[in-house]
Amino acid sequence: MSELANEPSTRSQTVESGPAVAAPPPRKGKAALSEGKKAERKLGLLLCAPAAIVMLAVTGWPIIYSVWLSLQRYDLRFPDQREFVWFENYAAVLSDGYWWTAFGVTAGLTVVSVVIELVLGMLLALAMHRTLVGRGLIRTVSLIPYGIVTVVAAFSWFYAWDSNTGYLSALFNAESPLTDRFSALAIIILAEVWKTTPFMALLLMAGLALVPDDLLKAASMDGATAWQRFTKVMLPVMKPAILVALLFRTLDAFRIFDNIFVLTKGANDTSSVSMQTYNNLIKGLNLGIGSTMSVLIFIAVAIIAFIFIKLFGASAPGNDPGGKR
Amino acid sequence: MGSTARWRMLAVSGAALMTASTVAACGSDDGMQINVYYAPEENFQSVIDRCNEEANGRYEIVYRKLPRDADGQREQMVRRLAAGDTDLDILGLDVTWVPEFAEAKWLEEWTGQDKQQAEQDVLEGPLTTAEWNGKLYAATKNTNVQLLWYDDTVTPTPPKTWREMIDMAKQLKGEGKPYQVLFTGAQYEGLVVTYNTLVASYGGKILSDDGKSVVMDAGAVDALKLLKEVSSSGITDPSLTNAQEQQVQQGFESPDSKAAFELNWPYVYAAMQDGNPDRAKNFKWARYPGIDGPGRVTIGGYNLAVSAYSEHKPESFEAALCLRSAESQRYSAINDGVPPTIESVYAGDDKEFVEAYPMWETIVEELQDAAVRPLTVVYQNLSTITSKVLSPPQDIDPESTAAELRDQLQKALESKGVLP
Amino acid sequence: MSDTTFVYVPPSTEGKKSKAAASKLTGRKLRWTLVDIVILVYALVPVLWTLSLSFKTAETQTDKSFFPTEWTFQNYRDIFTTNEFIRALVNSIGIAIIATLIAVVLGTMAAYAIARLDFPGKQILVGVSLLIAMFPQVSLVSPLFEMERQLGLFDTWPGLILPYITFALPLAIYTLSAFFREIPWELEKAAKMDGATPAQAFRRVIAPLAAPGVFTTAILVFIFCWNDFLFAISLTSTEASRTVPAALSFFTGASQFEAPTGTISAAAVVITIPIIIFVLFFQRRIVAGLTSGAVKG
Repeated sequence: MSELANEPSTRSQTVESGPAVAAPPPRKGKAALSEGKKAERKLGLLLCAPAAIVMLAVTGWPIIYSVWLSLQRYDLRFPDQREFVWFENYAAVLSDGYWWTAFGVTAGLTVVSVVIELVLGMLLALAMHRTLVGRGLIRTVSLIPYGIVTVVAAFSWFYAWDSNTGYLSALFNAESPLTDRFSALAIIILAEVWKTTPFMALLLMAGLALVPDDLLKAASMDGATAWQRFTKVMLPVMKPAILVALLFRTLDAFRIFDNIFVLTKGANDTSSVSMQTYNNLIKGLNLGIGSTMSVLIFIAVAIIAFIFIKLFGASAPGNDPGGKR
Repeated sequence: MGSTARWRMLAVSGAALMTASTVAACGSDDGMQINVYYAPEENFQSVIDRCNEEANGRYEIVYRKLPRDADGQREQMVRRLAAGDTDLDILGLDVTWVPEFAEAKWLEEWTGQDKQQAEQDVLEGPLTTAEWNGKLYAATKNTNVQLLWYDDTVTPTPPKTWREMIDMAKQLKGEGKPYQVLFTGAQYEGLVVTYNTLVASYGGKILSDDGKSVVMDAGAVDALKLLKEVSSSGITDPSLTNAQEQQVQQGFESPDSKAAFELNWPYVYAAMQDGNPDRAKNFKWARYPGIDGPGRVTIGGYNLAVSAYSEHKPESFEAALCLRSAESQRYSAINDGVPPTIESVYAGDDKEFVEAYPMWETIVEELQDAAVRPLTVVYQNLSTITSKVLSPPQDIDPESTAAELRDQLQKALESKGVLP
Repeated sequence: MSDTTFVYVPPSTEGKKSKAAASKLTGRKLRWTLVDIVILVYALVPVLWTLSLSFKTAETQTDKSFFPTEWTFQNYRDIFTTNEFIRALVNSIGIAIIATLIAVVLGTMAAYAIARLDFPGKQILVGVSLLIAMFPQVSLVSPLFEMERQLGLFDTWPGLILPYITFALPLAIYTLSAFFREIPWELEKAAKMDGATPAQAFRRVIAPLAAPGVFTTAILVFIFCWNDFLFAISLTSTEASRTVPAALSFFTGASQFEAPTGTISAAAVVITIPIIIFVLFFQRRIVAGLTSGAVKG
């Protein structure tokens, strides 16, 4: 148990010392420079090649393939009717009310749950960072929602709200919370927030560790209230961490599937775009329409990521000019 | 180092697991196995055991239980058939899936002697569900029709029409007696079954007879009106939108039940004997209510088909015939409450059958003029869309809901639409 | 929990009014204890509810009480006597471990290069793996389903291991390169100067320093693979490769009309155990791993 309790706060130091260590190691000798540099390049490429190849093979090629599939009429139940139809599938999906309903639900779920997670995550991060009592304990228990299998957690919420088995449905005297659209969406958000708030909190805590203690001390000596210290001192320092957390969680929330699959199966207009793609593909065996949806989701995610990076500029990951990575 | 030791352990246990799993994968390979993929049915294993005895060691039938819900069953078989899986031999198909599976070339046609045996003495309604394009693709295993279940201490004479039932329910509610009308109203196939029954009872049509175009005539619109009325006049369970067969059954069984009427499959009779023996004494059945007289009910049930990818086709046909033989059907009716498709099983002089299955006569009557769900390759899409458009039933607006159905069903028929 | 080493000493206690300060401290401790309790309840209630359902008898399954009124082990007996669950468990463990091993090995190689070496295309690799980390997995389901069907990978272990490796790699690369940047590589040179061979220097000096990071990454990757549902349900169809999360949603009751609440809950508890063990024993490392990769830039 001592390992749990002795939580060293070395994070901030190591992060700060990062760039120094990351600086390229000193060269061995002037004469060997170009030779050594070449070898280094070669080794670098060689070491990265397997990872790069796997990632490209399993994502790059399928994406191209799904664009190809999305331009065809391809229903596994009508194997003889496979043909190239250009953008007909896109027209079918984009002019369909169900698609836009699912899109609206997905966007709504994403925004609401990420906002709640940000607030709760910040509170949890503060608690984990500053608590005087049982720091190891609360860090440990808050990792449980992070680590638990989403489907398992979803079943727990399902049975809690199901009107035949649930203690929560009994507690709130709710007849069928999982089939009424709004209460069902609220439960999906609850399940999503419960599961991912700790992850959000951990990312935020890393940012919290960057806030220098003496700065806070100085601020409080200058008579700043707790709220002022939070908004004026902590938030600016934490901004990069907050943005990264938001970006990660937004894109993650946008692909919500597991919780909806278990909680409502998408009934009563609670379907997400991922759920709908799955239905068209696996239930409907319509590879053309399913691939079209895949491509559209991919584009939507790319747009979200682009907006984040444009809005928040260089502070987004992957855009960092230092070349530390 | 401790950590390298840990790594080694991980690697060793990983390797051990892999060997274990390969060993498990190729376990029993000594005799021929005929895999039956079929919905969970409590006593189906005994039927299989008997057929295995008959096979006398030539093959062994193995029961592979599919998920509980019809969507899950279909999904699993479809995914495996799409991948050309040779492990599937006999498929337990819901009556609505035969056209789709046949069209996709996943089913082996029944011919010659097998065909003759599979058609012999089978009731007409169920038999049509096993055919597609004039060919036989499956053998009927059991049929199913919903009945009206009621409590004869609450309503000594059951209603014959929906109008009567609605009025009775309202009156009972006023008198503070059990009053609810329970039926499957959740967004799933069960809602489509209810709606299809109403449409047929009005003499209406959803699709044309060849299943190629959408009709949605006056009867279909009237059925929407009725469905809305029933759902929105305070005489159903408040959790109607959650009600699948199980909830409907439990709604009548539970000790504090407020239900007077239940529209459900015959299995609830046996379930009631266990679930609430007290109320079981007054638990009676009648024909499903209709518009002017009794209703025309939707046929459910299962057919057994042989997969086109099976490597043991002759044996599979033989095994399937045994699993759905008159003897097997009688056994399943008595023990699992599923109605036979072979006419001669409904024998009034078979004491054991009549005792365990007292509602058999009503079932036969209903089967005489039952309604078959639209036979079409894209039934799954139609069903998904219909249940979506009809949910929740209390929000139906007959004219605009009908228009939406027309539009969406047409797209689905062309497999151009999007599934919700 | 003895936490005395970490008492945060607020500036205001620097004054010598030790009594007042002490009571202030107790007050603060009390408040933090309350906060802790709230967090405990938050994190544990859904888990306890599943645990409770798994111990309820079939008859009391619908009694809506939070705690079981009648206890039984029947649900556990049921899942461990059917092949369905055991096979799924073997699949889950096997697939997750193999995917983790491969992802960690490939990730270590790439992360070492990223942290230590200078080579062209480094930025691109980092960018691409970031993209993949944010990639909508469902976009891959359609093409992978079709491709695996044609290649015969559908419903096999490799059919799941491949996408798992792919989506675990970005996680592995980030976490590991963050760890590797912290390793004082000068030590390696020092060891060599002391006469150690490169192999010895690596084994005695670098490997021990790198091992914790690699181990932490392995845990994170394992949790990721263990958790997956979308690929598991889309790219498998039988016991041959179906993992527990996917198998759960296919559990059947005794008959078509009986809910499998108890067995689902029991199986859910079983697959939560590894997570609880990781969290209990490696909390510090998981926290370090999650926070290191993400907060740069």
